[in-house]
Amino acid sequence: MLEIFTLTLLTLFAITSVVAAYLAIRERDLVKAVVYSAIQSAMYALIYYVLMAPDIVLVYIPVSVGLIPAVLLFVIKKTERYEGD
Amino acid sequence: MVNEYALFAAYVVVLSLYVNLGIALYGIFARPSLVKKLIAITILSDTANAFAILVGYRWPIGKLPKPPVITELPVTRKVLETYTSTAVDPLPQALVLTAVVIGLAVTLFIAFIIIQYYRLYGTVNIHKVRRR
Repeated sequence: MLEIFTLTLLTLFAITSVVAAYLAIRERDLVKAVVYSAIQSAMYALIYYVLMAPDIVLVYIPVSVGLIPAVLLFVIKKTERYEGD
Repeated sequence: MVNEYALFAAYVVVLSLYVNLGIALYGIFARPSLVKKLIAITILSDTANAFAILVGYRWPIGKLPKPPVITELPVTRKVLETYTSTAVDPLPQALVLTAVVIGLAVTLFIAFIIIQYYRLYGTVNIHKVRRR
């Protein structure tokens, strides 16, 4: 029973990460794209946790949900906010 | 029944990782903004790391796997046998731990390059730069 619960969580996180990545690439407002990318990274962190890698989760959440979106928001503040013409 | 469900879950996870790879490559090659390309590069590196973790995973047939940590201190032969029969592979986890930190450094470097590019050209849209 626990195996089925774990595998269901795994598939759920994987599908949510696909949706978040698609929205991050299609979004024209770059701030929203960064937020969707952070959601995708959080889903990957949960996938790592389900795949029995808790030490990676401890490094991955501050780096990929905290630091990289902060750097990207700094870059967007210094440059343009909207993509395209 | 658990075995078929584990196979189904493995297919779904691998397929979603491949789809993420395709989305990230589309973002790198087809979107005009350099910041969007940087976001796509982070998604690409995350997906590669997830593939490496997935290779080391032991699919739950019979019992759930455990993290690769030995918690009982007098390491006897029996403790080692339970460890090798239940723990996942620790080598991809060590490699991914290094790759995450290196990816952060690379992302910071590319962000610096994008800011300097904007100071030189006044835009981060590659189509507008090509027209000048």
